[in-house]
Amino acid sequence: MNLINMIFIVDDDPIHQQIAKIMIERQGISNNIRVFSDAQEVLDYFRENTNVPEALPDLILLDLNMPVMDGWEFLDEYAGFQTSLPKQVKIFVLTSSIDEKDKERVRSYKFVSGYLTKPLSKEIISHLS
Amino acid sequence: MNIAMLDEHYRHLQHLEAAINACSLSVSVNADGTIATVNSLMLHALQLPASAIEGQHFETILLPVNREQWEGICHKINEGQAVREQIGFLINGTRPLWIEAGFSPILSDEGAIEQFLIIGLDITERKRSELRIQEDEQYFRQILENLPIGLQQFSPEGISMEMNSRQREIWGQDHPFLRNPEYNWLQDPLYRINGLARLFEEVREGGKTLKKEVLLNYSEKNYEGITRIYPVYFEATIFTVVVDKLANLTNIFVILDDITEKKLAEISLQKSERLLDNIIENLPIGYIQFDNFGFIRRINQTQRNFFNSPHPAARRQFNVMNDEFATMFELDDLFQQALQDNKALRVEKKVDFSKDERWTSIGREVFLDLTVFPVVNPVDKERIVVALVNDITDKKMQELENVKNQEFLLQTGQIGKIGGWELEVNNGNIRWSEQACRIHECSSRVAISLEDVLSFYTTESKLLLSHHIDLCIRTGKPFDVQLTIALPDNTTRRIRYIGQSDAVSGQPQRLYGVVQDITEQSAIRDALSRNTELMRLFFDTMDMGYVAMEPDGQLNFLNQKAEKMIGRKALTGSNIFEVFPKLSGTVFYARLQECIRHNTSQSFGIYFPLQDKWYDFLLTPMQDGGISVFIRDITESRKMQKELRKANDQLSNLNKNLLNQNKQLEDFAHITSHNLRAPIANLKALMQMHNEASSYQERELYLGMLHEVIKKIDETLNDLVEVIQIRKDVNVEKEKLFFADRLQRVKDILLVDIETSHIRITADFEKAPALEYSKVYLDSIIQNFITNAIRYRSPERTPAVHLQTWVENDNIMMTVEDNGVGIDMERFGNKLFGFRKTFHKNKDAKGIGLFITKTQVEAMGGSIKAESKPGQGTKFIITFRPE
Repeated sequence: MNLINMIFIVDDDPIHQQIAKIMIERQGISNNIRVFSDAQEVLDYFRENTNVPEALPDLILLDLNMPVMDGWEFLDEYAGFQTSLPKQVKIFVLTSSIDEKDKERVRSYKFVSGYLTKPLSKEIISHLS
Repeated sequence: MNIAMLDEHYRHLQHLEAAINACSLSVSVNADGTIATVNSLMLHALQLPASAIEGQHFETILLPVNREQWEGICHKINEGQAVREQIGFLINGTRPLWIEAGFSPILSDEGAIEQFLIIGLDITERKRSELRIQEDEQYFRQILENLPIGLQQFSPEGISMEMNSRQREIWGQDHPFLRNPEYNWLQDPLYRINGLARLFEEVREGGKTLKKEVLLNYSEKNYEGITRIYPVYFEATIFTVVVDKLANLTNIFVILDDITEKKLAEISLQKSERLLDNIIENLPIGYIQFDNFGFIRRINQTQRNFFNSPHPAARRQFNVMNDEFATMFELDDLFQQALQDNKALRVEKKVDFSKDERWTSIGREVFLDLTVFPVVNPVDKERIVVALVNDITDKKMQELENVKNQEFLLQTGQIGKIGGWELEVNNGNIRWSEQACRIHECSSRVAISLEDVLSFYTTESKLLLSHHIDLCIRTGKPFDVQLTIALPDNTTRRIRYIGQSDAVSGQPQRLYGVVQDITEQSAIRDALSRNTELMRLFFDTMDMGYVAMEPDGQLNFLNQKAEKMIGRKALTGSNIFEVFPKLSGTVFYARLQECIRHNTSQSFGIYFPLQDKWYDFLLTPMQDGGISVFIRDITESRKMQKELRKANDQLSNLNKNLLNQNKQLEDFAHITSHNLRAPIANLKALMQMHNEASSYQERELYLGMLHEVIKKIDETLNDLVEVIQIRKDVNVEKEKLFFADRLQRVKDILLVDIETSHIRITADFEKAPALEYSKVYLDSIIQNFITNAIRYRSPERTPAVHLQTWVENDNIMMTVEDNGVGIDMERFGNKLFGFRKTFHKNKDAKGIGLFITKTQVEAMGGSIKAESKPGQGTKFIITFRPE
C-alpha cells in the first residue's frame, strides 16, 4: 500500500537518515525515499525540477539544525517559490528541538503541515499519510 | 658615270656646301688634329681670322673642359659611329661658344680617316641658360642643404624622399627615415599621437600651409656625471609644392624649426607670471586691482579676508567711482588722481566701517595706509590701478594712546598733587612750583628761605627734614621721607618729600626734588591695614585655606588654615613654591600659568601621598593682578567616593557575571535541546526498532547503530564538559606569555598537518610581543585558528595564515587572517561561534573549535569577531582584555 509516492528525508545525522528510511519502508507508506544531508541539496533539486511534477516529492521530513543551509533558511527560500510548484508538497518539520520558540516559529510558515519531534515512531509515520 | 653627270653632281655638292655655310658653322679637322678649314660663320662666331686658326691644333679652340669629350668623339668616329653632341668652343680664348654638332669622318680611297667634318648650329644662348639653371639648382640645393632649419620632401603617401642635413640631424641617424626607405611616418603611432601625421594629411587634402608646435624629442645633457633630459620643441610647417605640372605631381614639404629656447622662455615667463600672481595673492597686505573705469578686477587673500568677501563670482559689481561708501571717504578722488597724475600716491585714511555691512563685517573705524598707483597691464596694454591696503589701525591706536598718555602725565601733576622744589645752596633760597605752594597752602610763589619752609612742619618733621637736607648737601645722599604739615586750622597734612643734589662731586650748587600730598593715600593705607586685619579674621575663621599671592608665587597673605595645610609658618614675601615644595611636580604650576594667561579661575585636585591628603585647589585671578588660592581638604570625601566607586564596580561586575551566566544557561538549554536530544531520540528509536526486530541480523544492525550513537553522545558530553570547565575557571592562572613562543609550540604540535597541507604561517608580534594570559587557553586559541586555516584551506591556492598583534585602547589585539574558503558572514555570521555549528561539508568539521575559542576568550574578559568573504579567506579579530 504505497500511500505516498515520494518522500524526502532532509537531515544531516546519518543515523537518523537510516532510522527514518528503515522505519518508513517498514511501515510501507512509500518505497521511494530520498535522503539529503542538508537543505541546500534539496533546494538545488527543487530548482532543477520546478516544472517536472513527477520528479517532485509528495512529502518532506525536514530537520532544522543542519550545516551549510539549515531548515529555517530552506523554509524561507521555499516560501518564495512554493506557490509556483506544479503540485502540492507536504512539509513536516522533524527535529529534536522541544523548544517552544522553535514550534512557534514553525507555525508561522503556513505551508508547513506539522511540527514533529524526534524520535520518529510508527504512530507518527502512520499520521503522515 | 659620265663627266656630265659628274659635273652635275659636283654642282649639286657646291650648292649644298653653300647652303651649309650660309646657315651653319663648320670646321674640318685633319686626322692629326690640326684644323684644316673653318667656314666664315664659324670664324665670325669665334671672332678670329682664318689665319689664326687654320693649322693650329683643334684643341686650342675647344673649352678646356671639353678636350676629353673630343677624345671620346674621335674614338667613336674611329669605330665608325655617327656622333652628334653639344661641344663647347672658346671665343677669343675667353667666352664659350656652344655648338650642337654632327661629327662625320672624311675617308680616303683606302678607307682611312683623312679629316673630321664638324657641322653644327650655335646653341650658346640656350646652353648658357641651361648651365645657369644647373648652377642655380646646385646653388639653391647647397643653400637648402645648409639651412639652419630642417627641410624634408615627402611623397603624398608620406614616404620621405629627401631631406637636408639639419633635418637629418633632427631625426638622428637611427631614425627609420634614414634607415628604412619604405618607412611611412603617417603610420607611425608616435606621429599619429603628436599630431604631425594628421597635420600632414590636412595639408595633403586642403593644400593649405599649416603650422604646429610639437614636442618631438628630448635631448640629454651631461653635467658632472648627471644626465639631464631636456624637452626639444619644434615648429613644424607643412606645405605642398607642385613638382610636375604635367603629371600633376605634388610633393609635400615639412620644415622643422627648433623653437626650444623660445618655448622655454615662454614657459619661464609663464612661470614667473604665476609666481608673481602667487606673491600678490599671499601678500600680507591687501591688494586691490581696478581697471581704468574703477571696477574691481582682483582682490588678494588678505583683502578678501578683510572684506569678508564671498567667492569672486558671487561678488556684486563694485565701482570705486560711484560707490556711496567709496565716495564718502573720497576713495574715488584718490583713484582719479593716481590715474591722472600717473604716479603713486600714499595716504593714510581713517575709514569708519561701523555702519557699513557690505564691505566688511569688521564694524569699526579702521586706519588704512593706502598706496595707489597706476600700472600698464602687460597683456592688453590697458591702464589699471592697483591699491595696496595696509591696516595700520593697531599702530595708529597705539600712537593715539601715546598722545593721551602724555597729556595724562601733564595732568598727573595736578591730580597726583605733586609739586617741585629747588634749593639754592649758596643763599638758602627755595623756589616752589605752583603745585608745591598749593600743597603748603601758601599763595605766594616768591622765593622763600629754608627757614620759612621748615616753619610749615611739625617739630618732629622739621628736625627730620633739616637733617636730610643737611646730609644731602654734605654727602649728596638723596632722601625720600614722609613729613607732617601743621595747617593753621589745626589739621595736619602728610607730605612726601623727595630730594637729591645736583653735585657730581664735592659741594652741590642746588638741591631739588618733589613734594607730594599723600594725606589721602595715608588715610587709605590706614584704612587698608585695618581692612587687612578684618580680612585676616575672616579668612582665619573660614574652614578653607586661603592664600593671596603674586603671579610668580610671592605670598601676600595666608590664613591660618593655609599655614596648617602647608605644615609651617610662611612669611609674607616668601615664595609659595619654597614654603610648600610639594607643589612642585604637581599640576599647580601649569594651572597657575593657565589662570594667568586666560585670566580665568582654575579648579583642580592634588593628592599628596606622604600625608595621604587630597586637596582641592581653586585659583582665581584678582583685579590687581594677584592670584587668590583657595585650598579645601577633600581627603575624607574623596575616600568615600573611592569606596563608593569600588562598591559600584563590584556591583556592576556581579551584574555582568549574572548576565553572563544567564546567557550561558540559555546556551546550555539550546545545546541540550539540539545536541543531546537528537542522539537520545535516535537511541529511543533504535531501541524500539531493536525490540521489534524479528531477525538476528536486523538486531545486530541496530546494535551497531546504537554503538555509534552512544559514541557520539559521549563526544558531545566531553565537549560540553570542556566548555563548562572553561566557564567555571574564572580565576584561571595567568602568566607572561610570548606570542612567538606559543605559536612555535602550536606549530610543533601540528607539524604533520602543517607539512601535509603546505600551509605558510607568518606572524608579526613586534607591536605587542607578549601578554599576561592562561597558557592553556592561548595555546588552544592559536591551535584552533591554525587548525581551522588548514582544515578550511582553499584548493585553489597555497594556504597561508598570518598572525599579528598590536595594542589598541590599552587592549592587546590579535588578528588571524587566512586565505581559505571563507564563510558567508551574511548567512552564518550569527552562528559562527555557536556550539556544534558547521557551515562546510567538510567531514572533519565538528563545530566545536570556535565555540571553545570564544568561550576561552570571553572567560578571560575578551571578545572575538570575524570578517570573511566566501572564496577569499577569513579574518578573526581577538581583543584580549588586560585585566
